[in-house]
Amino acid sequence: MDKLARFFKMPPQIIRLVLLTIGIICCYFTARYFLVPPSFGEFGHYRGDALQMIASRQPFWAGKASCLECHSAHADKLAKGDHKTLSCETCHGPGREHVENPVVKLPKLDVSLCVRCHEANPSRPKWLHQINPHNHYTGNLCTECHVPHSPNDVP
Amino acid sequence: MSENMTRRSVLKNLAGIVGGILAMPAARTCKAAVQNVLASSGAPKGYDPFQHKWLMALDVDRCIGCGLCVEACKAENSVPDGDFRTWIERYVITKADPASGKSRGETFVDSPNGGIGGFKTSLIPKEDILKSFFVPKMCNLCEKSPCSQVCPVGATFESPDGVVLVDKNYCIGCGFCIQACPYGCRFLNPTTHTADKCTLCYHRITRGLKPACVEICPSQARIFGDLKNPVPNDPLQAFIANNKVERLKQNLGTNPRVGYAGLDEEVR
Repeated sequence: MDKLARFFKMPPQIIRLVLLTIGIICCYFTARYFLVPPSFGEFGHYRGDALQMIASRQPFWAGKASCLECHSAHADKLAKGDHKTLSCETCHGPGREHVENPVVKLPKLDVSLCVRCHEANPSRPKWLHQINPHNHYTGNLCTECHVPHSPNDVP
Repeated sequence: MSENMTRRSVLKNLAGIVGGILAMPAARTCKAAVQNVLASSGAPKGYDPFQHKWLMALDVDRCIGCGLCVEACKAENSVPDGDFRTWIERYVITKADPASGKSRGETFVDSPNGGIGGFKTSLIPKEDILKSFFVPKMCNLCEKSPCSQVCPVGATFESPDGVVLVDKNYCIGCGFCIQACPYGCRFLNPTTHTADKCTLCYHRITRGLKPACVEICPSQARIFGDLKNPVPNDPLQAFIANNKVERLKQNLGTNPRVGYAGLDEEVR
């Protein structure tokens, strides 16, 4: 009590300075309260809600697992050959619409697709089967001789 | 001083201010809860970022330079033309002139349109090439990421599950992080005017899917896994066990997490 009384006996300009300082500090914390997002610091020096926001985007590629739900026979065949590392959508293109509505068919594929990976290129690794598309075969379709779903077999 | 400023009115006003300030956190919590119910319908539920640690590894000897991963990434994440979250580089090292006494000639690196459409033309004739290979590049998922250290607003960060992400609502587009990244993995998105980068397809991995580039890669040059939840015959664990794994620019102290197998000394 004695100390409090002594504080109020201080010169008025000092009391005003102290009150001003307290006011500024209060303003700082009030402003900070409104400017810093609520989830800031939840996990670290960032907005915790950002994780949810980034995760809320919808996937574009359906993924091999959703193809296998219906096309397991193709997948078993694929798993036996050299194309076992391929995902369905690697060749057939984005399949989300087809997964959601099987009536929507995926487009037919053409030769450029095989050549995309199997055209000879000095930068490509040696283990990959490579061909020169200009002199490998003069016919139209790769599938005349090769089976894309089981490339080790002959049709 | 007005005449009606009594002790009672001052106390009333003071009580109102204090009450208002005390009620604010409760109101904010309610607002956040309501927003969560209304807005989080798109986000996967029940995902705990502390239960996972995602990692990607890249096998240079498996990359065939088809560029399908770059296209898959663009389609998945609406990456603008001319910018890349991942890209393929072609390294061509020429034969040395025997008179020079050197082990290798010059090194040429190119990445036409990030590798989209594949690598068709080669500027160097095959007989002059000592060796050549493709290197997929992407965010190196640094433990001490320089990009998040320089961000002045805390809009980029290392998430608990090991991904470096950008909070585009709070990014001010200053571009410090783009200059800070020693791997060149960031760009300023021309539509959002915020920093953009590989998220390891955060919206896919939180749903149990693989990142788009891993899903589409035909040759398993990209290996993806969860270090905290290894599956039986985990491809990532097998990759680390069976290869001599290196990381890019280790001397910079950024502690990159992405591992590379089959790197040549020329790859930076």
